[in-house]
Amino acid sequence: MNAEIVRLRDVVKIYGNRRTGVRALDGVTIGFREGSFTAVMGPSGSGKSTFLHCAAGLDRPSSGSVLLAEQELNGLSERKLTELRRERIGFVFQAFNLLPALTVLENVTLPLRLAGRGPKRAAVLDVLARVGLDGKVNRRPSELSGGQQQRVAIARALITRPAVVFGDEPTGALDTGTSREVLGLLRETVRQAGLTVVMVTHDPVAAAYADRVVFLADGRFVGELLDPTVAGVAERMTQLGERRMPVRGGVA
Amino acid sequence: MIRLALRTLRLRAGGFVASFVALLFGATIVMACGGLMETGIRTAIAPQRLAAAPIVVTGDQASGAKGAGSDLPERVRIDTGLVDTIQALPGVAAAVPDVSVPTTLLHNGTVGAPSTGHGWSSARLAPYTLTAGTAPSADTDVVADASLGVRVGDEVRLAVAGGAQDFRVVGLAQAKTADPATMFFTDDEAQTLLRKPGKVDSIGVLTTPGTNVDALDQKLTSVLSGHNAVALTGDDRGQAEIAGAVNGGDNLVALAGVFGGLAIAIAIFVVGATLGLSIQLRQRELALLRAIAATPNQVRRMIMAEVIAVAVLATGLAYFPGQAAGRWLTGQMGANGVISPAIQFHQGWIPTISAIGIGLLTAVLAGFIAANRAARAKPTDALAEASVQQHWLGWLRLTAAIACLGGGTALAIVTATVMAGPVAASTAGPSAILWACALALLGPGICRLCTAAFRWPLRSFTGVAGYLAILNAKATKVRLAGAVVPIMLATGMAIAMIYLQTTSVADAESAYASSLRADAVVASSTGGLPVNFVDTVRRTPGVAAASAFASTTGYLTDKTFDDPSSKHHQAPDVNDYPVQGITANAAAQTTAITVTRGNLADLTGDTIALPTGIADDQNVQLGQTMAIRLGDGALVNPRIVALLSGQRGYDTILMPADLVIPHLTSGLLPQILVTATPGTSPAQLTANLAALAANEPGLVVENRTILAAQFADHQQTSEWINYLLVAMIVGYAVIALVNTLVMTTNRRRGEFALHRLVGSTNRQILRMVGVEGLLIALSGLVLGTGIGVAVLVPFGLAADGSPVPHGPWWVYVAVAIGAVVLSLGATLLPTMAALRTPAVASAD
Repeated sequence: MNAEIVRLRDVVKIYGNRRTGVRALDGVTIGFREGSFTAVMGPSGSGKSTFLHCAAGLDRPSSGSVLLAEQELNGLSERKLTELRRERIGFVFQAFNLLPALTVLENVTLPLRLAGRGPKRAAVLDVLARVGLDGKVNRRPSELSGGQQQRVAIARALITRPAVVFGDEPTGALDTGTSREVLGLLRETVRQAGLTVVMVTHDPVAAAYADRVVFLADGRFVGELLDPTVAGVAERMTQLGERRMPVRGGVA
Repeated sequence: MIRLALRTLRLRAGGFVASFVALLFGATIVMACGGLMETGIRTAIAPQRLAAAPIVVTGDQASGAKGAGSDLPERVRIDTGLVDTIQALPGVAAAVPDVSVPTTLLHNGTVGAPSTGHGWSSARLAPYTLTAGTAPSADTDVVADASLGVRVGDEVRLAVAGGAQDFRVVGLAQAKTADPATMFFTDDEAQTLLRKPGKVDSIGVLTTPGTNVDALDQKLTSVLSGHNAVALTGDDRGQAEIAGAVNGGDNLVALAGVFGGLAIAIAIFVVGATLGLSIQLRQRELALLRAIAATPNQVRRMIMAEVIAVAVLATGLAYFPGQAAGRWLTGQMGANGVISPAIQFHQGWIPTISAIGIGLLTAVLAGFIAANRAARAKPTDALAEASVQQHWLGWLRLTAAIACLGGGTALAIVTATVMAGPVAASTAGPSAILWACALALLGPGICRLCTAAFRWPLRSFTGVAGYLAILNAKATKVRLAGAVVPIMLATGMAIAMIYLQTTSVADAESAYASSLRADAVVASSTGGLPVNFVDTVRRTPGVAAASAFASTTGYLTDKTFDDPSSKHHQAPDVNDYPVQGITANAAAQTTAITVTRGNLADLTGDTIALPTGIADDQNVQLGQTMAIRLGDGALVNPRIVALLSGQRGYDTILMPADLVIPHLTSGLLPQILVTATPGTSPAQLTANLAALAANEPGLVVENRTILAAQFADHQQTSEWINYLLVAMIVGYAVIALVNTLVMTTNRRRGEFALHRLVGSTNRQILRMVGVEGLLIALSGLVLGTGIGVAVLVPFGLAADGSPVPHGPWWVYVAVAIGAVVLSLGATLLPTMAALRTPAVASAD
């Protein structure tokens, strides 16, 4: 068994006032092992995005601790946090992943440049070849399809050889076919490089690409599935949705 | 980072156009002001008629008025004895005295163009050379410039020294540099016509070959000390030809300073605002950068690099319009009497480099504010839709707003209660700026109030378009404020400054007009009338009374803050007051001045009549003798024979015309006020007076409104500057407004597309946007009018006791129409452009 590369303990995130504010995360404790591919699922408003922000050091929890590659994120300055993200974390977002002013090559190498490291051309071309974009090195994002743009984002996430890649609905804006391609690519490249992936999604098909699916509801983890199937994930999601229905009805 | 910044610039050129234009505009003004400042400091008036003399000695126009902040308005003449003193100095080849006498050629009674007469020996100072005939030798001989259109042997009649005399043209002369309207008499005749025995205007110093001019200049300066004379070299020599031109130079320096400073302050705000907006529109991009790899510092550096790249381009390019603007402004100021038209525009490398430096600094400062905001972008924003900015009122903003409101209120109270007359503008003007700042800071909150106020009328008139527009306005009050604030600034400043100006001019004119009771004014188009001509006018049939009317300036030492202990440390302050030279026995009939003590009939010889306010300030009583400096710096000691009441702030000192006129540059009487006997019609009076022209060529008879018009002309100077200031502020506000509206409207393409997809017609969308534009214009106009009222009411109360400003109503209408047209244009045009693309394409 590999060691846990990401570890959250009693993480609480409250938006707004401490007493009257919204508790988006309500005491989350979970770990992600090195080399694993985990999907985080949950109905809308379950705290998926907040969980991702806190785990990836994009946002600070109200209380609790986040350990990333044995580094406690609590108390890190904004600069240190940025540097940690730059060195150890890769991101693939749902949309608007790329800077419109830069070419594919420049977008991919941006983290290295910002870190003050000169990108090695061979390494960059290798990554681009792995995501199947070796012919489009000098294109602008606006000249690429949605699937191609997500491939560029994956290439950028891989270029720094990070410890973890976080995905926030990385296929949310794509059609089914392209979606499968991108997810397959993500899984394969991650396996090859031995990376850890944490991906937030609401799509059972996407979740089925993972080794493990964890479910969030009302800011807490409420269960997990290992080696998931599409049907299994969908069923669990339906249960979660039903569980919440009476609460909604009661409020209304 | 720099590379990324440049890339972004290239792709998003549109977003930086506004900052570029604002910077270009600001740098142009700063550069022009730098040029004006240098022009003012140099006051380069190239010598023409005195060009051949390397050094010119002339009267010290600054003497006597020291402490008053400007030079003496009348020419200070120097002793003829100095000619011999200078001639005796080593290195001096010749010291040539020069006098100037206004002359006018008369053709069979009609008046020709004005020219100036000089003594023949001064011809070598240009130098003039004879092209025909001989030099003048008899008193009636004259040599004319070849271009005056006379021939050798012609008998000519000249209006000179207040009368007409016959001369014979004995020669024609020509010079390369000088004003063609020039004539030469014999030296003695020129001196006689000047009517200042023992005095000359200037002395041209010709040097022997090999003389060091600088050394001689220094030598002269020590020789001249105590003689109220100065030695001028280089481009300063022109000041001897045109006395009073230096005054304009000082004006120019002060003006350029005020203008440049204001331009910088506004540029920082406008550039800061445009950058802030363009950064807000790029929020997601910046957040993405922060999320994947960039530290706050790197984002800050990137924004700074973008700003500096734009600024370098803008300030560099500003060099060309800056030069042109400086030249144009100098020309305009010359034409409008702010400075002497003879002053030449000069812009060396110092103002250019400083303006570029200041422009860059402005941009860096504005960029710094914007970059800090950008660096605070939260990385999580990259994952969410750009949120609507709702939080706007920080404690810093609130404190500043309260400070501005307090300051504005304090100034309004001071204006209404402490100030009197025209000086009230000095507190009313700044209060306009404070009000505008306060409202700008509270913009979003005020916009919500305005939206609420206009909600019902707009909805009832515009239906569903108005309904949607109001909803949009409520949801985006911060964005709305970005457009309302520039409109408020432009309309508020325009209304306040323009009506401030028209009100003070109207008040000054009415105060002036009410001090006169004359039915007609006799004046001269040929330089002036002889002093004793008042008696001739008095004896004309139908004339009840005739009084001389000669305006000049008097200087009194400020005794208000007299502190004996500090007397030795610094020169006392000197205040200047308008002085009128009048005729004692006619003053009561021609002017409406109220005498509180004493008698105006005693105003003969060495006497003076003071407004009570000045008498109090000077701490003098009726019957006492006091010291006053006249326009040419001469000190006289008249006895106080009357105390006058007058509207505070419009005080005029009265003195006998006989005492004042010798101290005028012309030495002639400019005007005579006339009242008619009962039963004489104005037309009859005018006809009788016009008949006098037979013996007095150039005599003109005018209605008394001419005096008020002349007086108003003097006020024009400050009026013109005021309007220029308004134009600049409005220009900036327009840049800010158009930028805000165009940028935000472009950003709403997606929203418009959504409207169309759910069934709005293009017409409905345009109507909705139009109502929003109208709402913006109306809100801005209401707030701007508020600023105008807050400024003008206290000012009106202080200036003439009435809260209603004077001035044409169409100014307000024009301002209102301008605001509406501008905001509708800046919203509707980009919307139309946005609607031209198919809805599905822009819905993403």
